[in-house]
Amino acid sequence: MADNSKSFSTGDFLPLSDADRSHLDSEKITAPSQTFLQDSWRRLRHNKAAMICLVILIILFILSFGSHFFQTHNPNATNPDLANLPPKIPGLDINGFNGTLMQSGERINAYAQAHAHAGTYYILGTDYLGRDLFSRILFGTRISLTIALVASFFDLAFGVVYGIISGWLGGWVDTLMQRIIEIILSIPNLVVMVLLIVVLKPGMSAIIIAIAITSWINMARLVRAQTLELKNQEFILAARTLGESSFKIAFKHLLPNLSSVIIINLMFTIPTAIFFEAFLSYIGIGVSAPQASLGTLISDGQKNFQFLPYQMWYPAIVLSIIMIAFNILGDGLRDAFDPKSNRK
Amino acid sequence: MAKYLAKRIFYIILTLFIVTTVTFFLMKFMPGTPLTNQAKLSPSQIHQIYKQYGLDKPLWQQYLSYLAGVVHGNFGTSFQFSDQPVSYLIGSRLGPSLTIGGEAMVVGVIIGIIVGSIGAVKQDTWVDTATTIISILGVSIPSFVLAVLLQYYLGLKLRLFPIADWGGFMYTVLPTLALAASPFAETARFMRTEMVDVLSSDYIELAKAKGLNKVGIIYHHALRNSLIPIVTIVGPLAVNIMTGSMVVENIFSIPGIGEQFVKSILTNDYPTIMGLAIVYCAMLCVVLLITDILYGLIDPRIRINK
Amino acid sequence: MKLSSFAKLGGVALLSALVLAGCGSKSSQSGSSKQELTWQESSNLPTMDLSKATDIVSAETLNATNEGLLKMSTKAKVVPGVAKNYTVSKDGKTWTFNLRHSKWSDGTPVTAKDFVYSWQRTLAPKTASQYAYIFDHIKNATKYNTGKASASSLGVKADGNYKLVVTLSKPQSYFKYLVANAQFFPQKQSAVKKFGSKYGTQSKYMVYNGPFKLTGWSGTNDSWTMVKNSNYWNKKNIKLDKMKIQVSKDPSTTLNQYNTDKLDVATLTGSQQVSHYKNNKDYKSFLNASTFYLEMNQKKDPVLRNINIRKAISLAINRKQLTNKVLADGSVPARGLVAAKMAYRNGKDYADQAEVKAADSQNLAQAKKLWAKGLKETGKKTVALNLLSDDTPAGKNTTEFIQSQLTKLPGLKITNQNLPFKTRLQRSQDGNFDLVISAWIADFPDPISFLSLFTSDNSYNNGKWKSTEYDNLIKNAEGRDALNAGKRWDDMVQAQKVLMNDQGIVPLYQQSTPKLIKSNVKGIQFFPTSPEWDWSKVSIK
Repeated sequence: MADNSKSFSTGDFLPLSDADRSHLDSEKITAPSQTFLQDSWRRLRHNKAAMICLVILIILFILSFGSHFFQTHNPNATNPDLANLPPKIPGLDINGFNGTLMQSGERINAYAQAHAHAGTYYILGTDYLGRDLFSRILFGTRISLTIALVASFFDLAFGVVYGIISGWLGGWVDTLMQRIIEIILSIPNLVVMVLLIVVLKPGMSAIIIAIAITSWINMARLVRAQTLELKNQEFILAARTLGESSFKIAFKHLLPNLSSVIIINLMFTIPTAIFFEAFLSYIGIGVSAPQASLGTLISDGQKNFQFLPYQMWYPAIVLSIIMIAFNILGDGLRDAFDPKSNRK
Repeated sequence: MAKYLAKRIFYIILTLFIVTTVTFFLMKFMPGTPLTNQAKLSPSQIHQIYKQYGLDKPLWQQYLSYLAGVVHGNFGTSFQFSDQPVSYLIGSRLGPSLTIGGEAMVVGVIIGIIVGSIGAVKQDTWVDTATTIISILGVSIPSFVLAVLLQYYLGLKLRLFPIADWGGFMYTVLPTLALAASPFAETARFMRTEMVDVLSSDYIELAKAKGLNKVGIIYHHALRNSLIPIVTIVGPLAVNIMTGSMVVENIFSIPGIGEQFVKSILTNDYPTIMGLAIVYCAMLCVVLLITDILYGLIDPRIRINK
Repeated sequence: MKLSSFAKLGGVALLSALVLAGCGSKSSQSGSSKQELTWQESSNLPTMDLSKATDIVSAETLNATNEGLLKMSTKAKVVPGVAKNYTVSKDGKTWTFNLRHSKWSDGTPVTAKDFVYSWQRTLAPKTASQYAYIFDHIKNATKYNTGKASASSLGVKADGNYKLVVTLSKPQSYFKYLVANAQFFPQKQSAVKKFGSKYGTQSKYMVYNGPFKLTGWSGTNDSWTMVKNSNYWNKKNIKLDKMKIQVSKDPSTTLNQYNTDKLDVATLTGSQQVSHYKNNKDYKSFLNASTFYLEMNQKKDPVLRNINIRKAISLAINRKQLTNKVLADGSVPARGLVAAKMAYRNGKDYADQAEVKAADSQNLAQAKKLWAKGLKETGKKTVALNLLSDDTPAGKNTTEFIQSQLTKLPGLKITNQNLPFKTRLQRSQDGNFDLVISAWIADFPDPISFLSLFTSDNSYNNGKWKSTEYDNLIKNAEGRDALNAGKRWDDMVQAQKVLMNDQGIVPLYQQSTPKLIKSNVKGIQFFPTSPEWDWSKVSIK
């Protein structure tokens, strides 16, 4: 050993010359290194349909949550004299948007008939109590999107935690937690919601609780499956060997690796939750009057569909757009997070 | 297999027991009574009626007798239909619901499989885009909107089908279509994904390399293997149909249980709500059990008696 | 799991749908002379057991398929039914009905015993009938119902097969209306025994003695039929052969069904349907004996004891706008407590005679003046009141509207509280409210069915309005003047005037049922009180 020992002198090491450096640089990977999320985001950006949906959703969020600035009228102010007016948009003289209406085979000016002041405009018309449909749709959209946020929150706060605990701890805890999930799964969530709402009195809080109870199950199952898979992988084992606390492992190592599963599943929980709110409101046990939800608006509009089709069409279209947007965005995210799949 | 079945049936019974118990106590917290014109009754008369319904007994006694009743298929007496056993009410209205539910499931799944496979085979062409758009619309348009539109345009305007009522196959067409949209779209989306995966798998490549014709490959290999996982989504689809039927039955005046469920909620008919909750739950349990068994039979990789 | 069978199935389903689509639109319109009627109901028929029925569908079906001693007719008149005639004793307490020889649908005779049995059954504690209270003037009825007397002590006796003697505990001039109600119809003891717990739960578990027989009702289904009863005593005057009843709950569907001739009669729901068909030749609106009014809690809120405050509240409400614009379902402004077009004497409507215009119309200027005066008298600057009502759409719309109207009174703040019916009722009875929108549906077409609510000690007098003059008038109408129709009428007219002049309640609106009826359907009879509809005179032209 001693024979091999060599003493270094300062001259043995020289700084790299510029030429050497440029030689080394030629082997450098040109693209900047990207995290998984950054990479997914790049792929998502190339998915035009998903990006359009994202933009639509952002716009809807801004419009509905900032509706104080956008709404043209108070959504709950009734004005019986101006009830059931068709849409009228300033400067647009196309049937359907100029405040006229077919009545007994004749096109009449509904605004003039209701003695509305000149300059009265309801861009999407009014409902049977003279409330501005546009403002009510904005308000209903806000409720739908609130439900989306609430459902996501419970998905994350409850579903993810439940799944990680169940998968991480394993053993009898896992068995017990899985049995609980199986039982909840075999109860139709509509039944759970209906029972809760009957007991809690219809209203926003009842819907939120009902969605909180039913929405997290799928998330918990998927997260558990993924956790089981990750648990035995080397980087987790390494962290364990290094003595990191379970809590830290869950946060620093598991969560980032679970993020794609979580985000994708989130995008499928949201439309389901929005649909349920609309459905419950439609059958009359959801959001209660005078508050508007897209479900109650469609239900009200359905009653007048033969005479004033716009009263159902507009809220129905908005609801469908929200659902479509979340669905396409969800598809896009799944593709972005799953490089294996060759779906566009 | 027998052991597996026994285990599953035990869990079904456990689930139903939990549902029964929870529903019972939830309903007891409600202010509801069987009285329809409480306003005009004296307290002694109210007491009389309570006694008749067994509502004067202590809670645990009511619970035990309800539980014993459920075991024998007796869910008590409906509040809305006086003297009508809830089990009879459900039994007599179950037929139409199962008919349109079953039709919607069959139609939805079959068309979904066809559309989904076409989309996968014609991947990345306009056909694929069109099928994707149709299936996205299918999941995004709520059944209650679709039902109204179908009734108005196909029933009232074009007079192709009866607007509402019950009696014969023709009457089931519109409600079936309204209900089938969601299972159709879900199946089509799922089918496309599965088929795309299968089509890019090694054995398909091998079949191609062997020079088998395309139709043969799709039909014999791709389709069959993609069909197996479809069984797993039947359960969730059944739930969608149950939900949809509540509105669709009302709009098309179908004498089914979905419509009755909504009615009993709105009229505080607690025995009927409880009975239907249990029945819905039992139906889902059975569907899940059947699909799991089917899955095990179809897919040799899954061993059911583990 | 053969694909081919899948594909075939799908193909067959699609094809058959398309093929059958072609033959779907056959019209059901029948020849003009066919005496058949298709009638729409918005809810199911819950029971045919008349001792247990509480709803209007049961009442009208029972009325069509069974018959009591007397039959209800229009303009608050009664006509002979199973009873050919009747006599009332001088003291008004003994009513003797002479029965005609009529038959049940199974061919057996209808006897006085069937009436005795039926009434005893309804009142039996075991039956737990929710309508037992309607018998309360019959001797020992309440005692028997609460288990304090025997069935045989009940004041109804059969004198032979065709004479029924009823003894009342005190005179009841409107007893003639009661016996026309379904609760007083006969029931055949042997049938009740035979069918046991199934009695009245399906069309086959019943016997009928009315113009029609019920068929095809399984107890829970959505459509059933009534056919002419060949054993009915007056069958030669029944023109309708068959009547189909179809339950259609969705208002749009109902209208579509009517417009495609699947229904001959349909109920309209909601403002848009009504306003769209208001001028249609098929449109008819029927006023129910059902009034909505505002009760003001004088026990809880001293400020509401001030008459000017109460008057101001009434004067601030524009009832026309409420009925025409907000409810817009055919309802009309209430003209007092007692419903209009319900009770008549000598052809004159009670509502016309007993109306106090100042208590049921709007005058905002006057309202503000009285309000200011009232505030001064009570020494208040601002008043905050809660307004209680049902959580139904109509209930919510009404409270929203009343709120917007009342806040026009300076210093008045109204908070709305919409609760489920039963909770609302409980709160009203507990006096836990400031203002409440209450409703009353009369059981029989006599003003007393409304007026008795507001005597000082009545439990439905939620606002605790008190007037000795009113109490005395009601006492006279029910006692001293009970046998003198003219005097009794005057007492009742005076009573409503007292109530209105003191603004004991604020009348709001009277409900109505808007319907579309095909022009070839003639002779539908409507009564503002139960059973509402009678088809025994219907014919198809």
